[in-house]
Amino acid sequence: MTWVAIARKDFEDVVRSRMVWGIIGVFLVLMGIVTLGASSQIEDPAATDVISFFTNVGGQLFVPIIALVVGYMAIAGERQSGSLRILFGLSHNRRDVLLGKLASRTGVIAAATLVACAFTAVLMLALFGSLPVGTVLAFVALTLLLGAAFTAIAVGVSATAATRARAMGGAIGSYILFTLLWHPLVAGLHYLLEGDLVGLEAPGWYLFALRLNPLEAYRQAMSLLVDGYVPALVGWETIVEDVPQGAFQQGALAVSDRVAGDLPFYLSEWFAAVVLAVWIVVPVAIGYRRFQRADLN
Amino acid sequence: MPAIRTRGLTKRYGAGDEAVVALEDLDLEVAEGEVFGFLGPNGAGKTTTIDLLLDFVRPTEGDATVLGYDTQPETDAVRDRVGVLPEGFDLWNRSSGRRHLEFAIESQDGDTEPETLLERVGLDRDAGRRPVGDYSKGMSQRLAMAMALSGDPDLLILDEPSGGLDPHGIRTMQEIVRGEARRGTTVFFSSHILGQVAAVCDRVGILDDGELVTVDSIEGLRETAGVGSRLVVEIASEPGASVDELTAIDGVTDVTRAEDGLHVTYTDPRAKATVVHRLVESDAAVLDFDIEEATLEDLFAAFTGSNADAGLEYETDARLEGEEDSGRSGDRPFGAGPEEVDR
Repeated sequence: MTWVAIARKDFEDVVRSRMVWGIIGVFLVLMGIVTLGASSQIEDPAATDVISFFTNVGGQLFVPIIALVVGYMAIAGERQSGSLRILFGLSHNRRDVLLGKLASRTGVIAAATLVACAFTAVLMLALFGSLPVGTVLAFVALTLLLGAAFTAIAVGVSATAATRARAMGGAIGSYILFTLLWHPLVAGLHYLLEGDLVGLEAPGWYLFALRLNPLEAYRQAMSLLVDGYVPALVGWETIVEDVPQGAFQQGALAVSDRVAGDLPFYLSEWFAAVVLAVWIVVPVAIGYRRFQRADLN
Repeated sequence: MPAIRTRGLTKRYGAGDEAVVALEDLDLEVAEGEVFGFLGPNGAGKTTTIDLLLDFVRPTEGDATVLGYDTQPETDAVRDRVGVLPEGFDLWNRSSGRRHLEFAIESQDGDTEPETLLERVGLDRDAGRRPVGDYSKGMSQRLAMAMALSGDPDLLILDEPSGGLDPHGIRTMQEIVRGEARRGTTVFFSSHILGQVAAVCDRVGILDDGELVTVDSIEGLRETAGVGSRLVVEIASEPGASVDELTAIDGVTDVTRAEDGLHVTYTDPRAKATVVHRLVESDAAVLDFDIEEATLEDLFAAFTGSNADAGLEYETDARLEGEEDSGRSGDRPFGAGPEEVDR
C-alpha cells in the first residue's frame, strides 16, 4: 500500500505547479468568452447549450490537453531525473510507482475538471437562472471519465517512454491520432471495404469505429445528452464523408440521425462511458507491462 | 550470510556484435558489517552494478543476492532493507526538505523524526523548511543522504556520494559512513576518487571497463601495486637530515631530491608527519610541502598493465592529461588530500 504515500506526495507537488493553474485559468476565460459570445448569437438559447459549448471547447481541447500535459512526465520524468532510484531505495516497487502516479495525476485532473464543470454550472445559472440537474450530473460524470481516460493514456505512455522527449512525443501523437487521424483512417477503411465514401446514413460498424476514439465517444454521448449536434474540432464529415451540402449546418449529423431504425446499444450514451473506461484500463495495463519489464536506466 | 553476493553477474545492452558490455561476469562478495569501496572510473560499470542489485535493470546473465534475498524474485525484501543514495538525481523541487523526509519515513513505516535526520546530515531546521528547488547541489546531496538513512537500512548503497559536496560536507559524509559502520550497517561505497574510498573503506574492489580487476584492502592494494603517495617538501637549504635517515622512517619507501624539492614516497600516511618533523628538527628551512596522492589511474596502470611505464604517475601529472571528471567541479580526484594534513 505504499503507493498511497507516493500519490499524496505527488499530488502536493503537481497542484503547486503554476502551469496547471495557468492552463485552467486560460480555459475558464476562453469558456466564458465562448459562452457569452455564442449564446447571444443563437436563437432561443437554453441552459444545455452551455454544456454543448463546453463539450466543444472543454471536452475536446482543455480536458484532454491538460490531462496529457499533467500526465506525460509522471514516470518518464522520474526516470530521466534519477529520482526513480530514490523511490526504489525507499522500498517502493514499480507497481507502487505506477499506481501512485496514476492516482495522483488522475486526482489533479479530476479537480481541474470539477473546477471547469462548476464554472459551467455557474454560467448556466447566471445566464438562464436554472440548472437541469440530471443532465449536469451526467455531463460531469462523462467529463470526469474523459479526463481519467486521457490521464491514463498519458501515464501509460509515460511508463513506456525512456526519456522526456519520447513521452512528450507519445502524448502529442496520441492527441493528433484522436483529433486528426482517426476519422480519416476509419473513412479510408470504409472506402477500402465498400468502394466509396460513407454517406449520411452510415453502417453501424462505421459509427462504432468512430466512437472507439475517446474524444468521439465523449462528443457523441454529449450530443445525445443535450439532444443536439455537437461539432467535432475538425469537421471531417465534410472532408472524408459524402454527406449532403448543408447537413453540417443543419446539425443533421448526430448519430441518431445517421442510423436506420433503432439506435444499437453500442451507439448509446452509456456505451460511450464503457469506451472511456476501456481507455482508462488498456493504456495503464500496457504501460504497466512495459514498465515492469524495462531496464530503467 | 554475505551482505552482497553476485555470481557471474553480466549486463549487456543490445544484441549480437552491436552489444555493449556494461558489466562482465562479476563475482563479488561483501561481508555483513563491512565498508566496501567500489572503485573505478566513470563508465566502468559501478552504477550498472548498483542498478542490478536494486532490480533497476535486469541481468543478462548471472544473479545476485542482497542480505540473503535474491534481487530478482525478492526485490521488495531487498528494497525494504537497503538505503540508497544514487548518483545524479533530482529531488522534488516544490517540496520542502522536511517534507521529503516525512515522505521517506512514511514510505518505510519508520518512526524517526525528520529533525533528527536533518541534524545527522548537517542541515538546520531553516533549511528543512525551504523548498528543495532552492537547495545547492551539496544540500540536495545531504538531504538525499538523510533519505537513504531514514529507514535505518541494513545495507547503505552510496553512489559517488561526494558529488557536489565541499570538504566539510565530505567530512560529514565520511563521519556518517563510519557511524553507520559502527552500528553494524554494511556500506557499499562507489566512487571514482581513490582518496575518499581510502578514507572510509575496509576493502576495495576495482572495476575497470565492466570487469572486476582486484579486491583487496587499501594498504594491500598499494603494496601489491607498488604505488604510494608522495610528499613533496620545498626546502631553502640542504636538508640537515640525510636522505638515508628519512628512508629509514617506517612507512617511507623512497626519498629522492628533485628540482622542486624533496620527494618522499610512502605507503603509510602517518609517515608524513614524522618526515616533516625530522626535517624541521634538523634545521632545514621548510618553505612549503604538498601531498600528491597516488591516483586511481596509478592503481589501474599497476593492475591492468596498461600504461606500464607511467606506473608511478602522480595526480598533478594525471590531471593535465584531461581527466574524465573534468566537468565535475568540486570533485577533486585527490579529495582527501587537503584534509589528510589536518589529521
